[in-house]
Amino acid sequence: MNGMPAALSRVTVFCFAASYAIALALELWHAFRPRPIVRYASLGFGAAGLFAHAIYVILQPFPLSSTFGSVLFLALILAVFYFYGAVHHRKLAWGIFVLPLVLGLVLLATAFQPTNGQDEVTSGIFGFRGEHFWGAVHGILLLLAAVGVCVGFLASVMYFVQLYRLRAKISPTHGVRLWNLERIEAMNRRAILCSFPLLTIGLIVGIALQVHRGEAWVGFSNPKVLSSLGLWVVFAILLYLRYAVHARGRQLALWTMAAFALLVIALLFAHPFANGGAS
Amino acid sequence: MNLLLVGCSFKNTPIAMREKLAFDGPRLSAGLLEINSRYGCEVAILSTCNRVELYLAKQDSPVPLTADLICEFLGEYHQVPVEQLKQHIYAKDAQETIKHLFRVTSSLDSLIVGEGQIAGQVKKTYDDAKTQGTAGPILHPLFQNALQVAKRVRTETGISRGHVSVSSVAVDYVREVFDRFDDKTVLVIGAGKMGELTLKHLRELSPQRILVTNRSPEKAQAVAAGCGGQSVPWEQLDDALVQADIVLSTTGAPEPIMTRRRFNDILAKRSGGTIVILDIAVPRDFDPRIHDGDRACLFNIDDLMRIREQTLADRKKHIAPAESIVDQEVKRFLKDTKRRSHGPIIAKLTQEFEARRREIVAQLLAKLNGKLSEPDKAYIEGAFRLLQNKFLHGPISALAEDAPEPGSHTLLEALRKLFRLEE
Repeated sequence: MNGMPAALSRVTVFCFAASYAIALALELWHAFRPRPIVRYASLGFGAAGLFAHAIYVILQPFPLSSTFGSVLFLALILAVFYFYGAVHHRKLAWGIFVLPLVLGLVLLATAFQPTNGQDEVTSGIFGFRGEHFWGAVHGILLLLAAVGVCVGFLASVMYFVQLYRLRAKISPTHGVRLWNLERIEAMNRRAILCSFPLLTIGLIVGIALQVHRGEAWVGFSNPKVLSSLGLWVVFAILLYLRYAVHARGRQLALWTMAAFALLVIALLFAHPFANGGAS
Repeated sequence: MNLLLVGCSFKNTPIAMREKLAFDGPRLSAGLLEINSRYGCEVAILSTCNRVELYLAKQDSPVPLTADLICEFLGEYHQVPVEQLKQHIYAKDAQETIKHLFRVTSSLDSLIVGEGQIAGQVKKTYDDAKTQGTAGPILHPLFQNALQVAKRVRTETGISRGHVSVSSVAVDYVREVFDRFDDKTVLVIGAGKMGELTLKHLRELSPQRILVTNRSPEKAQAVAAGCGGQSVPWEQLDDALVQADIVLSTTGAPEPIMTRRRFNDILAKRSGGTIVILDIAVPRDFDPRIHDGDRACLFNIDDLMRIREQTLADRKKHIAPAESIVDQEVKRFLKDTKRRSHGPIIAKLTQEFEARRREIVAQLLAKLNGKLSEPDKAYIEGAFRLLQNKFLHGPISALAEDAPEPGSHTLLEALRKLFRLEE
């Protein structure tokens, strides 16, 4: 990290977590008392948080196989998703839905932040032990699938909020502004459609790597493996419900939320290929 | 500034009189040209169903424009006795006119506060005056500012948020559920007059097809022909509901035509998504218990009226912030106008000093002819220019910052006298 500007090297998780929290508070303020200045301030804090987050991930590349690295990287991609949506869908309460998830993931990551003396940083972002390329492919595919699950989860939350608004016959101009039910459903559908192949290939690559090493199967007792397979099964059910049974959006939203719960469980445990190999 | 407003509005003038005074079609351009040529003033006419207002301006005229003069013109032009006219007409001086136009354009003076049409009507008024060449140095900035103020009020307050017509609120709800309409079916039940406007709004969404059903097949066919739809026999109502995504019901039936039990059977046959039912019939056509907010979203006339009242009440909350924006903008406009009026005297002052400087420098250089190099000459010229600028900086800055009240031109007069500037 020689030659790096000193200020950038001092960026901590607190810096971007605080920026996101302020951006969220301003988004909430704007939702109930709309003021353009509040909106711009919120975007400013969101952008600052995103910048600090990116700098942190670039300068301190924790491996994707670690819980801290993977959750932080997932939060970064979702922060980009937040910022893109906040700029492009200015009339929607985008930040109110996406920022809590970003913040939640950042806070989850801090629970697994390596203490001084642990050498996780040295192995790089895609620092899977052994077969570097396939390890990286496995990590990236699962990470992108996780992004899809998170987007699907966000769409499901939006769906239920919109459903509540319709049930209570709340004025379309009152409270938080959302996309219509049909568009939210389409967002959920696309997220599932994109995630399922990524998750499937990611898992196949992971199993192949395990076999290639000739190591003993980590087994279904490994919570990460178990929850990942559970996630895959839920996704398969989701696709079946969507295309074979033509289930209603409400049912699909509930299953997507279940998938997200499994993702969080999977994220809580270290990858079996992570340094040391133990979960 | 010689600015005057003469007009009448729904607040103090009955519709019969407003109709008589309206400048519609060719009468508008003829009226603009007539006033412009007769009184030699700038003029713009705002003529809507709720108001007729004439904005008149004349720059630096010793004879001010008067409301009486314009009333006489209006009486003559519209063949209305002047005495009768004067009972309804209001007139406003320069400052009041500016504030009034800003309020009107921002829809603070409208029958329904926050309605969006008036800004477009003011823009048309300005465009007409521009086209006829009757807008000049006073009306151009006045109308441009009025439109900007309206935009500021609209974006910084929630005064124009939401819809206040029942049909628009109904379509807002439809938009809360559906994203695209080219694959949707609209079913119209009944042929009530109340549904006509809502059907017009629904047609603007360009649905894939419109089905119309009525107890009377002739009426169904007539409505279908009018909206480009196809009629469905009344006996096939349930089948039509199975296919429909949006239902507009406006029958005159004394009892609900759709009970909960009957509708549940229909829901069981439906393979599509949510069905939105707009029941604007009185008495209601659909059992209100049908609404579950998921498979069926039912909005009846009470729901739509409640949203309308809510929107109107919300708009009232934004009147005070909107008025304060208007007040700020009026002050700013007056200040800018006064600054602009100082422009000619500043130009005159600069020209006078420029001429004197050139004269003195020319004399000096002639006296030192042959003794100075080109760089020396340039240096001397630069030094004199610098001196001139330093001398003028103080008076010009003071004048630019000065925004006296109407009628007091102390600093301007002082500068004229001190530097002997002729008009």
